[in-house]
Amino acid sequence: MRKIMEEYTTLSFQRLGARQLSNLVASGAMSSSLPVLPTPLEEKYPKLPDSQQVSLEREIMANSVPPHATQLASNSGVVGHMFSSASGFTTDLHFSSAPHERHFTNAPFISQSSSDGISLPLTRSSHSGVFQSRPMSHYPRENNNISWSADQLQSFLDFPENVPTQNNQVESSNSGIMPSDDNTKRSDWQEWADQLIRDDDPSTPNWNELLADTNVADTELETAYQAPKPPQNFLVQQPQVHQQIPVLSGDLSSVASPSSSVTGVPNKPRMRWTPELHECFVEAVNQLGGSERATPKGVLKLMKVEGLTIYHVKSHLQKYRTARYRPDSSEGSSEKKMSAIEEMTSLDLKTGIEITEALRLQMEVQKRLHEQLEIQRNLQLRIEEQGRYLQMMFEKQCKSHNDRLKTLSSNLEESSAPLLDVMQHSAKNEVEPTKSCAETGNDIMDASAIPEESSRKMSRKQKEPESHSEDLNLEGVSGSDSPPIKRVKADDRSVASAKLASD
Amino acid sequence: MKFGKRLKLQIQETLPEWRDKFLSYKDLKKLVRLISSGTSTLGKLHEPCKAEANFVYFLNAEIDKFNAFFMEQEEDFIIRHEELKQRIQRVVATFGPNGSQPSEVDYREEMDRIRKDIINFHGEMVLLENYSNINYTGLAKILKKYDKRTGGLLRLPFIQKVLQQPFFTTDLVSKLVKECENTIDAVFPDVQEEGRIKERGQKEASMVACQGIFRNTIAALVTMQEMRRGSSTYGQFSLPPLNLPDSELIQSFQPNSPIPIL
Repeated sequence: MRKIMEEYTTLSFQRLGARQLSNLVASGAMSSSLPVLPTPLEEKYPKLPDSQQVSLEREIMANSVPPHATQLASNSGVVGHMFSSASGFTTDLHFSSAPHERHFTNAPFISQSSSDGISLPLTRSSHSGVFQSRPMSHYPRENNNISWSADQLQSFLDFPENVPTQNNQVESSNSGIMPSDDNTKRSDWQEWADQLIRDDDPSTPNWNELLADTNVADTELETAYQAPKPPQNFLVQQPQVHQQIPVLSGDLSSVASPSSSVTGVPNKPRMRWTPELHECFVEAVNQLGGSERATPKGVLKLMKVEGLTIYHVKSHLQKYRTARYRPDSSEGSSEKKMSAIEEMTSLDLKTGIEITEALRLQMEVQKRLHEQLEIQRNLQLRIEEQGRYLQMMFEKQCKSHNDRLKTLSSNLEESSAPLLDVMQHSAKNEVEPTKSCAETGNDIMDASAIPEESSRKMSRKQKEPESHSEDLNLEGVSGSDSPPIKRVKADDRSVASAKLASD
Repeated sequence: MKFGKRLKLQIQETLPEWRDKFLSYKDLKKLVRLISSGTSTLGKLHEPCKAEANFVYFLNAEIDKFNAFFMEQEEDFIIRHEELKQRIQRVVATFGPNGSQPSEVDYREEMDRIRKDIINFHGEMVLLENYSNINYTGLAKILKKYDKRTGGLLRLPFIQKVLQQPFFTTDLVSKLVKECENTIDAVFPDVQEEGRIKERGQKEASMVACQGIFRNTIAALVTMQEMRRGSSTYGQFSLPPLNLPDSELIQSFQPNSPIPIL
């Protein structure tokens, strides 16, 4: 999986680099393979005021930037975790040493894309196989990354005027790691793009081909930055890369996350254990004569699970042994908890019934919390789903409406029908593209009755201050889209009247 | 009370080894403020993008942290759950009435221990769910702040990604919790005199409330309730208020609570 992600990183920057990254900011450079979200926005709002253009471009840049973030990561074992406490820090220092950096490099990516694998274990590729197959090719890139990312960091640090403590920390630790001077940011981009292009792999041409397929590209880029589509698409569509990679059995779902293991071994993706897998493990252990006698190697062999590495088994075996021979003391604190309650119970309580009842009460409270958490989680899922759905509908309607406008104008060119002329004029004068989107936004609101109603209900429950329901729904569509929505809101009534007029 | 403060309180109440695994909300807030002030002064195009990339990078680092911790705990829970079941079977088989060495005293003693352990185990699992949820809430909030302050469009797509992360997909833990509840029902004797016993239980439980897991659970419930009360920024993406039927009872378990314990 990491191999795939790294190659993808390489490739996406190949393409971008070829177009000169610094010119990407100009909207003309956008290719069809870029993420779904910014592209339609760009098309729909060609006459945006500057601030919006900026935010769009920022979004576009940001979307092209994810590997940039990963590059930063490579150097910043220190930076990235300066928030965490000392205990967390030692783990991360681990990653600032060279052999491990490439894993940290991919941290953001992998956490994003590999998370998809949780729900779809069948298409997961073996991580260990991947890692072992490409140990050396990482090195040249690593060095490039290090020198580049240090500069980037420096330039980033220069940019904020007011410097809080975290910046100071970063600078001092940064200087400890990298002695290089500032470069201009522009040259950084170029340098970086060049480096990536130089790091060409024989397999990347396949990627080029595959990326030409917009579906794939969308999936990939989305995986990198936005809502990931089901990873099956992602993995299944690139069979070439999978030649050396065995497919995992249905039991297993592994997640690659370099921040997981601390055993000093590179390439250690985290395994997400399931009860079934554990059962398989226990069986193997029992076959080998119990947890004390079983060895990780033996267990691994017996289990015959694709994608499971000896490191996974080793750590799991350790946990298992602890759990068996010191029941419920596998965490030190549980001992403390137990002694606390034992003290209290021996001092104050007389009968076992009272203890039992105390426990029962504790249980009730825990149950309550669990219920509420479940409810809350479902609510959160639904809220986001709805937001996404509305956003999608909004965009679809915008697109189709703009298409209609386009066909309208082309019809106009062909024929000189006065009626069309009038419509065109009214469309142009009264209804700008953004407003027309709002209009269709209203259409969607009417069309998608159910989500709309439920959203209204929810907002009513939440004592939404705004009374105008349409405003409400539009706000819900793109909660973070403040500039376009404000425009839409303002023009709401005029749009409605224009719509009526043209009908 | 603001989220940051509530989070801090929660972290204080939490199990000690969990303390540094929570969201660094305050630091992220600082970063957002930094970014938003930076862009206004510089206004160049490169800067906002880099700033956003950095922000995303830090968020991803946090997510990695959650995922790693969560999956580690989850793995532990799977093992312990299985072990508890085995242990119960062993005790029943040894000291139970039909066992190899039937002994009522031993049986009761062992069962008492098991009951304690299993309740605490249940509690830990629920607290992990709470951990997941509170971190998610924090992320959602910080993303909202980011978009608000920088005019970005980061929130919606990013949160979609978060929803699929291991630390948020708590289905397995939830399943374990339910299974645990079933086991607990089997292990606990039937309730005969509910009213009286409950009273006594409450008194003891309030003493027990000083103990780690129970205390943490109470804190979590109270926090949840208060966080969902009306706020100034209620919007489409906010949760409705939480109405707990025994909120008074729960409040009474808090140390130094204004509500007197009966």
